[in-house]
Amino acid sequence: MILKILKKDMKVDFADKRGILLTFLLPIILITLFAFSFGGVGRKKSAPRPSSLLVVDKDSSKASQDFIAKLDAMPTLKVISLDEEVAIERIRKGKNTAAMVFGKGFEKAVENDSRLPLEVKYDAAREIQAQMMLAVVRGRLMHNFGDLNALNKVNMRMTSVIKETSNKPNPGLVQAVAGTAVMMLLFSVAAIGGGILDEKESGTLKRLLTSPVKPVHILLGKMGAAMIVSVIQLTAMFVFAWLAFGLPIFMDTVSLILLILSISFAVSSFGVFLVSTVKTRQQLNGMSTIIIILMSAVGGSMIPISMMPGFMQDIAGISVNYWGIQGFFDIFWRQLPLLEIVPKMLILLGIGLGMILISIPLFKRNIVKFE
Amino acid sequence: MIQVQNLSKSFQSIKAVDNVNFTISKGEIFGLLGPNGAGKSTTLNIMSTLLKSDAGRILIEGEEIKPNSEACKRLIGVVPQEISLYDELSAYENLLFWGNLYGIPSKELKESIDETLELIGLLDRKKDLIKTYSGGMKRRINIAASLLHKPKILLMDEPTVGIDPQSRNRIFEVVETLNKQGMTIVYTTHYMEEVERLCNRIAIIDSGKIIAQGTQRELQELVQTKENIQLEFDFLSTDQVAKLSQLLPYKMIQKENQLIIESSIKELSSIITASNQLGLAINDIQLQKVNLETIFLSLTGKQLRD
Repeated sequence: MILKILKKDMKVDFADKRGILLTFLLPIILITLFAFSFGGVGRKKSAPRPSSLLVVDKDSSKASQDFIAKLDAMPTLKVISLDEEVAIERIRKGKNTAAMVFGKGFEKAVENDSRLPLEVKYDAAREIQAQMMLAVVRGRLMHNFGDLNALNKVNMRMTSVIKETSNKPNPGLVQAVAGTAVMMLLFSVAAIGGGILDEKESGTLKRLLTSPVKPVHILLGKMGAAMIVSVIQLTAMFVFAWLAFGLPIFMDTVSLILLILSISFAVSSFGVFLVSTVKTRQQLNGMSTIIIILMSAVGGSMIPISMMPGFMQDIAGISVNYWGIQGFFDIFWRQLPLLEIVPKMLILLGIGLGMILISIPLFKRNIVKFE
Repeated sequence: MIQVQNLSKSFQSIKAVDNVNFTISKGEIFGLLGPNGAGKSTTLNIMSTLLKSDAGRILIEGEEIKPNSEACKRLIGVVPQEISLYDELSAYENLLFWGNLYGIPSKELKESIDETLELIGLLDRKKDLIKTYSGGMKRRINIAASLLHKPKILLMDEPTVGIDPQSRNRIFEVVETLNKQGMTIVYTTHYMEEVERLCNRIAIIDSGKIIAQGTQRELQELVQTKENIQLEFDFLSTDQVAKLSQLLPYKMIQKENQLIIESSIKELSSIITASNQLGLAINDIQLQKVNLETIFLSLTGKQLRD
């Protein structure tokens, strides 16, 4: 009897081959993703991608340029020389982590064997990454000056370019709230998108299509509903973060509202995109779990972007999570004006629009098909 | 009013509709009778613009219908086989939603909802959630949702599946009332008693093909008999049936130990004599008046519920 039930269940479970494939694909993709993240791919330990270190050379001397060249020659660093203003702006906008400023009198200090005028300007939200870069620079300094006391000669002052103020939240809190909120939103809209499959099973989709409604109306109607739910869910999460953890959500209300709307648009279009690519619930479950976990891992919902390997940082932009989380950092941490956050909002809207355009033919092919 | 011409539709290697032709006059109730999988729903799906045919065409009032044609959708009401309603909404909310899709002005729609609910006998339950309704009541609301835009043609795909006789009767009354009001109705079913009661003309469909069509009288004439005699034997082999058919000049259909002979009561004695001659022990004899069930059996050699 048990065998008969087992045999029947295997037959039923394996009937949806695409669904089964997706179920197996999920762990394979996750293993691959984390293997890359932790540098475990290949027999030899892979060389880390160099971190970008901005350099401001105010001394412009032979000594400072020689030392910068030595830093650049290190495999772990990629030196980018900039003016101080530009470097600070890049850090302030979250494009780079830290800049090393070689103060005037660097060469003289080297000659006199006195304290070196070095300053590190960094983003305190990426303190761990900044400290790691600094450790590399310190190593180079010790090597260059030949003795362990060299460090005592370095006046390596660390200054955060983003000033912590009383109304500014801890970057960890911003990461936790933004990362989790966007990831959970993706799961919610995937479930709402699944409502289209329910309509197909119950026959209401058939009735909808016999009325003067076009398939695209159904798709956009579902997306609209998912967007409203997304806006409510995101708002509720931020209100909770405000009440429970004091996240200052009224710091820049206009930017916050516009960002919530942009994220909700992108995420809800993702929901209808997902459901348009599948034919069954099993396929939807497999596909949504794979894509959501992938986007969340790559986009910084699980681990902050700055702590990810270089290649993953490069592909982070494909994820809705990335643009959403960075947008929230722009508002709460970097406190950028609305105009500087708008490009991220436009990217989110662009992602959403792209997904809708792809979804329409897929929806007609996979969902609006009756026998 | 409706002309279905050379209609064909295949799904992979299965020919679901195979060169189907029929014509429906204005104000007629036209029955499409056939077993499950005969091609009734596919024909109806093409008529309701949900499906595109591989070949052939459908004309309504001389105009060829195109897939997703809005003008055509406004002309037609579709009662799907499934109960296509939202369980979490009340009957009124469901009807309001479905009616709104046709752009009916609010006041007109509300009047139409009340009229329709009265017609189906559920006006007093309009505020109740669909999930609290019985199967028969849901079926009635399922019909109501197709009537709000006052279509000229109503396509009903097995509208009485899985309901009690009382609810079924109520639906028959609704169909008859709508027809009296001038609505043309296409009614698919595999229950012959439904088409016998409701339909002016009938097309019998099997394996995607129309095997006969006409009024009930015309179909009866087609099988050229008024009665069938059903005999049940202890044992009946195909050899014995072959031998019996040499003795009796009637069409015979064997169903295991049963034999249906297209004949009349006057010939019963000769049938019994022939059976005795072959040593066949008769257990039971039944006289069947010719109905659509027996016509279907006669034409296809199988029963409607097969």
